[in-house]
Amino acid sequence: MELTPEMKAAIGKSGDPTTYEVTTLGIRTFARAVGYKDPIYFDDEEAKKQGHPALAAPPGYFGMPVYNPFRQNTARRPEFDSPFKRNLNGGTAVEPLARVYAGDILEAVTTLANLEILPSRAYGQMLVRTSETVYTRKSDGAVVAKTRGTGLSY
Amino acid sequence: MADAVTWDEVQEGQEFTNQEETSSQRLVVWAAASGDFYQIHYDDNFAKGNRLPDIIVHGALKGMWVGKLLDELAGPDGWIKRWDVSYRSMDVAREDITVFARATKKYEDNGEALVDFEVGTRKADGSVTTPGTATVRLPRR
Repeated sequence: MELTPEMKAAIGKSGDPTTYEVTTLGIRTFARAVGYKDPIYFDDEEAKKQGHPALAAPPGYFGMPVYNPFRQNTARRPEFDSPFKRNLNGGTAVEPLARVYAGDILEAVTTLANLEILPSRAYGQMLVRTSETVYTRKSDGAVVAKTRGTGLSY
Repeated sequence: MADAVTWDEVQEGQEFTNQEETSSQRLVVWAAASGDFYQIHYDDNFAKGNRLPDIIVHGALKGMWVGKLLDELAGPDGWIKRWDVSYRSMDVAREDITVFARATKKYEDNGEALVDFEVGTRKADGSVTTPGTATVRLPRR
């Protein structure tokens, strides 16, 4: 198949903003999971000794989206009907622009940068979805990171 | 854990590595940290029911291991400008993974001392499952 008119129309569109909370608990859990040994990701006092205003977040950590089961009517990314129902994570690119700290509230906006239908040896065809997300700190409006994700649907 | 390096001491072609273990417990801790609760990463029966040989390592965790190695190399005075990885093939859990960053180019740009790296994760048989690239600003000596 080829891209449907609905799919083509979704390219370039952005989803609704999503709020991410960066907490000390979230930072420590992430740092532990990845296996960081740097105390600035675990110890507030050590982070401050090294010139940080609060516990620092490791690169690539932008907090967790606020989970609210009573407000699930927003779309984080542009949506469209697709026969490709199963999803795989194809890749990630991260561009850290400013240090993220505990207490930061970030707003993430994801834009569908591109859609392609490509031949696949395993599945016949795959829908390749490229999304770009910009994370902005609410307190000062600073863009703290940009990420690009590749999703593979088959 | 890799030691921080300066721009002056890095040589093109030099490789830095970390070893990461992939126990089921570690994948569960990552699931909690990332919010990715897809069962193929921690439920043996679910994974095998989806035609997988065993539970598999989260792609995003491999990407963040690359970020950690780069962060350790950059140290407190450096900065990761960017990194990317592609999840090309699966890593079955319970097998150690080597995370690597090989310096491919040293240069200066707008007063910044930069190093480009080829990055990724490698299995014991030498195959690279998560290739990528990165650029890191390093402090001068």
